[in-house]
Amino acid sequence: MPHWKENCPNLNCRRAMGGLNKKRAIILNTTIIFSFFVVFLRLTDLMIFNHKSLSERAKLQHVKVEDIQVRRGIIFDRQEREFALNIELESLYCDPEILDLNNDGLKRLASVIAKEPRFILSKIHNEGRFVWVERKLEPDAVEKIKGLNIKGLGFMTEAKRFYPKGKLASHILGFVGIDNQALEGLELKYDRYMKTSGGKIFLERDAIGRTLSSGVDTEARGNNIVLTIDEGLQHIVEKEIDKAMAKWKAAAASVIMMDPFTGEILALANRPTYDPNNAGNARNPEKRNRAITDCYEPGSTFKIIAGTAALEERLVNPGTLFDVSKGSVEVGGKAIRDVHKHGVLNFKEVIQKSSNVGSVTIGLKLGKDRIYKYAKLFGFGEKTGIDLPGEVSGWISRPERWSGTSIGAISIGQEVAVTPLQILRAYSAIANGGFLVRPHVLSEVISPEGRVLASFRDEEMKRIISEKTAGTFKNILKGVVEEGGTGSSASVDGNVVAGKTGTAQVINPETKRYSREKFVSSFVGFVPADNPRLAIIVVIYEPKGQIYGGVVAAPVFRDIANQALSYLDIPLDSIPYNDHLLVSR
Amino acid sequence: MIYTGSRIIFSSILRPLLIALLLVGVFGLVYLRSSVMTLEYSLGDLEKTRRNYLRERKMLLAEKTSLLSFERVEASLSRSRGFVLPDRIRVIHVKNRKETLPYNASLERKLP
Repeated sequence: MPHWKENCPNLNCRRAMGGLNKKRAIILNTTIIFSFFVVFLRLTDLMIFNHKSLSERAKLQHVKVEDIQVRRGIIFDRQEREFALNIELESLYCDPEILDLNNDGLKRLASVIAKEPRFILSKIHNEGRFVWVERKLEPDAVEKIKGLNIKGLGFMTEAKRFYPKGKLASHILGFVGIDNQALEGLELKYDRYMKTSGGKIFLERDAIGRTLSSGVDTEARGNNIVLTIDEGLQHIVEKEIDKAMAKWKAAAASVIMMDPFTGEILALANRPTYDPNNAGNARNPEKRNRAITDCYEPGSTFKIIAGTAALEERLVNPGTLFDVSKGSVEVGGKAIRDVHKHGVLNFKEVIQKSSNVGSVTIGLKLGKDRIYKYAKLFGFGEKTGIDLPGEVSGWISRPERWSGTSIGAISIGQEVAVTPLQILRAYSAIANGGFLVRPHVLSEVISPEGRVLASFRDEEMKRIISEKTAGTFKNILKGVVEEGGTGSSASVDGNVVAGKTGTAQVINPETKRYSREKFVSSFVGFVPADNPRLAIIVVIYEPKGQIYGGVVAAPVFRDIANQALSYLDIPLDSIPYNDHLLVSR
Repeated sequence: MIYTGSRIIFSSILRPLLIALLLVGVFGLVYLRSSVMTLEYSLGDLEKTRRNYLRERKMLLAEKTSLLSFERVEASLSRSRGFVLPDRIRVIHVKNRKETLPYNASLERKLP
């Protein structure tokens, strides 16, 4: 193409062409400047005047806000076996505005979640754009619902508390609600350790909703707790309590196993019971932790008070004789009788044969104030302080409020209300040489990283009776389980057992008198007697057919002790304890 | 117009070089940014996979714990295999004394 200068031979032409180009340049420059000005104005509008609203919109488009998933701490037994953990399940929600659900779909959905169609309809007619349809569904159900392809339904992952051992130790563990809020048992007691706070995380996402890496952990875990409970011992206890319930057709039962030196609860079971995985379906009596929340009149197991008090006050010794041949004794105008007539018994035999007349005679020797003092020393009428919710203190009235018959009644375990745990703690004091321990179920609190944050220490353990009195009474309790004692059926092959039977009448709430049909049978003891490792109480409420503690509860003690000693590899008494042993089965 | 040597060098060599460098730089920046984005997507996917595995692990742990409960183990062993818990009286207790072990098999020379 020829240059314009070549087409313009003269100067005028050249000048005219130059002017034209200049004009064009000015127009072009002006256009560019104007365009930039327009862009500048628009940018000012976007970045200054509409900055806030637009940045919010932009954030909503490319930032996704997610809740940090909060997980409760895990509950372990003393051997670090899981008692309670978390699983993740899908929860079904719907957006009523875009929900496309026909009759057929509704029926199918209802059948998958096992609910009535009207239940679903009541949910989806709510206002708003988010409604839970069903929480924490099983994976099978989730797959089936996804297969229905219903528009407007969605899933959200939620943590569910899961108790892998089912009913085992349910009264200790407790349970949580649908939002994992603690409702009962240890879940409630140590909620502050196990729960944790959540928060939110901001995730970047692109136009099609794919999220970019956040680099932040989306899960917050609470502290784990380790219990003093042993799953093996708990299983033995629950198995035997079930057998006893079936055999005696009892209304209820409680068994506690404790280390008498430390107060560590090794097992605790009640019947009736429930599955914490379906706590919502359980009835209230099933959820009651009777071992600490229910009081009963202890009967002969309470003779420990008069017995130890008399020894400690040096009013009696094991050989002191009591004439109980009349078979009854009158206190405050009321006759208290023995079940079987005896002749002259020494102090040891009074306890061994559980003579009411002998015990009342000892009680009369002691007087009200000393009986009350020792009952309080053994912790009756006060909470034991166990770290489980709902414990009651029991009841023993002050001596000034006692009636004429009270001294006799209280000496044989009537007119007092105790919990099974209180009785077990009292007998543990005999087993450990005179110290009152504090029962507990928590051993340690451990952070998610494995650091020990807290551990149980009993700094309040106090001596309540002398070592000599404890030793003497221990020997007397051994006699109860020997031939001729009321608790002989609690004896264990290979190890000496020390314990006491109890048979107590239940007060009929209608007549306000003792029932002739309803009894509470119990046995409390420890084994091996000379080097106690286990203290166990068995309480059977309202057994049918038999009533005596020695017949109903003592064999349960024997069966539990036999298996527990085997489980713990505790050698027979005949084998010296200090020898190195290889144990083989 | 008088062209000096340095101007010639600038216009003929350095200018194209600088433009090329600028283009390479811009391209490099874009490439790096896109690589970072790709990595972030990969990481996001991996995090999702990790979450799924952790979730599955929790389910498996729950199942394992449930299957290993004493009740189930005892029930299945006694039902299907006829196992029974031994009577503790029949447990054999052996004293652990090395010097009294009756038989010692050793290639070492016996001390006189």
